[in-house]
Amino acid sequence: MNKDIIRTSSRKGLLFGIVLIFLVLINFHIMASTMISKLLGTNVLRGAFPEVRFMIIFLVIYGLWAGWSAVSRENKTTTKLLEGLISGITTGIVIVLFGLILFFLLETQTDVRRYLTALSFVSINIFLLGLRGAGVPVLFGLFTLTGLLGGALAIGLRSKTVSNFKHSIKAFVSNVRQSITSALPEFVTKYGKYMIYLVLLALLLLLPSRWGSYNNFVFGMVGLYVILGIGLNIMLGLSGQFMIGIAALFAMGAYSVALLNSPFPHGLMWGFWPSLVVGVVMAVIGGLLLGLPIMRLRGDYLGIVTLGFGEIIRILLNSDLLTDLTGGPRGIQNIQQPTFLGRPFNDVSYAYLIIVAMAVSIFLYYRLEKSRTGRAWLSIKEDTLVARATGVDVQKYKLLALCIGAAFAGLAGGIFAARNQFTGPNDHTLMVSINVLSVVIVGGLNSIPGIILGSFALRGLPELLRELETYRLLVFGALLVFMMLVRPDGLWPSSRPNLEEKGSSDLKEDIDPDLEGRGND
Amino acid sequence: MESKTKSPPKLTRRNYSKIIRPIFGILVLGYILWRLYEVLIVQQAYSIEIWLRLLIAGLIIGGVYALIAIGYTLVYGILFMINFAHGEVMMIGTFAGYFLFEVTKGINVASAGNPPLSFSDAYPLISVILAFIVGMTVAAAAGFFLEKIAYRPLRKAPRLIPLISAIGASFFLQNAAQLLFSPQVRDYTNPAAIARGSGWTLIINDSRVVITYTGVLTFVLSILLMIGLYLMVQKTKLGKAMRAVASDKNTAALMGIDVDAIVSRTFIISGALAGAAGVMWGLHNGLVHFFVGFLPGIKAFTAAVLGGIGNIPGAMLGGMFLGLVESLGPTALGISYQLKDVIAFVIMIVILIFRPSGILGEVLSEEKV
Repeated sequence: MNKDIIRTSSRKGLLFGIVLIFLVLINFHIMASTMISKLLGTNVLRGAFPEVRFMIIFLVIYGLWAGWSAVSRENKTTTKLLEGLISGITTGIVIVLFGLILFFLLETQTDVRRYLTALSFVSINIFLLGLRGAGVPVLFGLFTLTGLLGGALAIGLRSKTVSNFKHSIKAFVSNVRQSITSALPEFVTKYGKYMIYLVLLALLLLLPSRWGSYNNFVFGMVGLYVILGIGLNIMLGLSGQFMIGIAALFAMGAYSVALLNSPFPHGLMWGFWPSLVVGVVMAVIGGLLLGLPIMRLRGDYLGIVTLGFGEIIRILLNSDLLTDLTGGPRGIQNIQQPTFLGRPFNDVSYAYLIIVAMAVSIFLYYRLEKSRTGRAWLSIKEDTLVARATGVDVQKYKLLALCIGAAFAGLAGGIFAARNQFTGPNDHTLMVSINVLSVVIVGGLNSIPGIILGSFALRGLPELLRELETYRLLVFGALLVFMMLVRPDGLWPSSRPNLEEKGSSDLKEDIDPDLEGRGND
Repeated sequence: MESKTKSPPKLTRRNYSKIIRPIFGILVLGYILWRLYEVLIVQQAYSIEIWLRLLIAGLIIGGVYALIAIGYTLVYGILFMINFAHGEVMMIGTFAGYFLFEVTKGINVASAGNPPLSFSDAYPLISVILAFIVGMTVAAAAGFFLEKIAYRPLRKAPRLIPLISAIGASFFLQNAAQLLFSPQVRDYTNPAAIARGSGWTLIINDSRVVITYTGVLTFVLSILLMIGLYLMVQKTKLGKAMRAVASDKNTAALMGIDVDAIVSRTFIISGALAGAAGVMWGLHNGLVHFFVGFLPGIKAFTAAVLGGIGNIPGAMLGGMFLGLVESLGPTALGISYQLKDVIAFVIMIVILIFRPSGILGEVLSEEKV
């Protein structure tokens, strides 16, 4: 019993220690203490280092967390405290070992930045709290103490009185809410949802002209990813075709608009609107050409083939072969700006254009989903054989899904190219396809609010959090894993229940629904 | 009455792909034959030693692809998921080998010669063996923790979920490497005895064809590792358990096999192979950076699919085939070397369209398929 406690909590402490070492090696501790110092009102100049006291705050928070998370739910109070203490001590030991190495590096003035790029002397010195060798025991004491305190904190906050207090607050809030809703006139409760929509709509219409061009840029990015996400969702969520090459279709739209609207390489000036239509049509043709030969493939094979298709398109665009036709690696510059009723576009009008495009896409998506076509797609996704048996023309509907999804991708691509006034092969890498896929999955398959939320979370937030610039892709990766572990259905799961999974969960747990639709043709 | 008149067009409608596929195939095949005819018979621009050089390069790169592809195929055969972060496991192996060579380069050995020899120059064999051991161990550990943290909790989830988790892990590892070791591209420091570019020289038609030591090392070692793996899967108890888990998890569990442990070991083995491939990549190509695993990873997955996923000899064959196509293809078809990846992907698409389960056929359990 006691051994068990020691083992689990020391393992927790070890984990926290190793993670902290990793954070120090990537200079995260400097960034965190800079943020803390900014929060507390002491500005740190760019490139400068924060004061040591903010480093201490960061370490104290980290140590409290280590102690907190080691505390189990069932045991007695003394055992809980012990757990926190052991976790703190283990973290402390790990950090002492690490600190000794750092101290050694500092004393001998060994510069290891050639290998570990973040480990500069200043950074080491701040981590050792500016005390050099004396910092090592201080760090040990700090982690032991904070581990104990974290344990105590966990006990305090999880105790009965606190949880009772929480419950009473919850009850109070729900009471208040109930009394408010009952007090409100009937039309508010009935149409309240629509009123919120109306407010949101008004905000959408007002904000682009108010909040500056950078926010418009970010907003446009989010909007384009929503359109792309809807396109992908039609292929993946509705008709169950695993597509990783959506960047190729995106590129078709973008290059159509770019080529038909720029002085170089062809000198065509068709204007934005006709070329946008051409872009959508080109993307549909691309989807058709891609779809026709590969209809027979299933699951992951479809994914890998579409991935290959996307890469082929990108490499072709990047190669010398098509330089005369598509501008090669340099891409296409100076794309002519669209005009609407004789007025040229600026960032605000692009925001409105993207809002309109988004609204049209969402409307079309809902109509499609509820239609006969949408039901046919869902039936194909759930079980291809049954769908075929009930008279659904599987190939036709699969192709249709690819083409319609491609149309959305082409639309987004066309707007993207015109808005940036530039497009090149690097705008259409595999990363675009993977980002769209992540947007759809993280947001929630078959859920429009989910896709909007997902594209805001994955595309909008990283742009807005430029502070964290160096770490944003790292955090993005960690978040993707974390999301899948914690909320596999996405941020805003679709309300339509997944019949297949519920029905079959007892009998055939590890059989995947997607795979059973094999044996096409 | 009406239904009778309607039935013939319905039949033709279903056959889109049945018509399109042969047309597509004939077009591609015709193009390849035409280009081969142009280059090999009409132009005859390339002499035998050029082909030999390309063949050697293809075999070497093919061996590396095959090793990585085996990792994909093992994991896919058991868990039915694309381990998207496998390329990053290889990257970790490459870095581990790089650091080992840096360390051994830094240690000076007492020697009679005037400039003191470094350990790696004095004992090249030991340091290469050490590098492979360290690279494989570190990459195996990476594979083990990857599975434990990012995939194991998702064992029962629909298959897209672990894929996204794998993509996230791949991002994380790439960026962690970038932040730890900086984005700069580094040179691999080979021991002097097997410096890059040095090797046996053949004289063919008065021109030199160099068979590099690193190339031979890569090729021979990859073949040995593949044979070892094949024997392990076929002959040992662990291999038997792996095959049992791959064909039916539930029954395997009933037979007393610890499924979780076997999955863990599969990841360790595939990680070790990827680590070996990574060290080879570093030794032979000489560059190491945080993005080094990405493209080989994708290509190796292509190779695994080519050979038939879940099929270990298939992965070996697919890797070799892809390496050769990539190396010989651009010259044989007389197109720009920039397009070698296009050739590789087109061949993959063509093979999948006509033989959707790969060259040797996939080996997956009945239940899963």
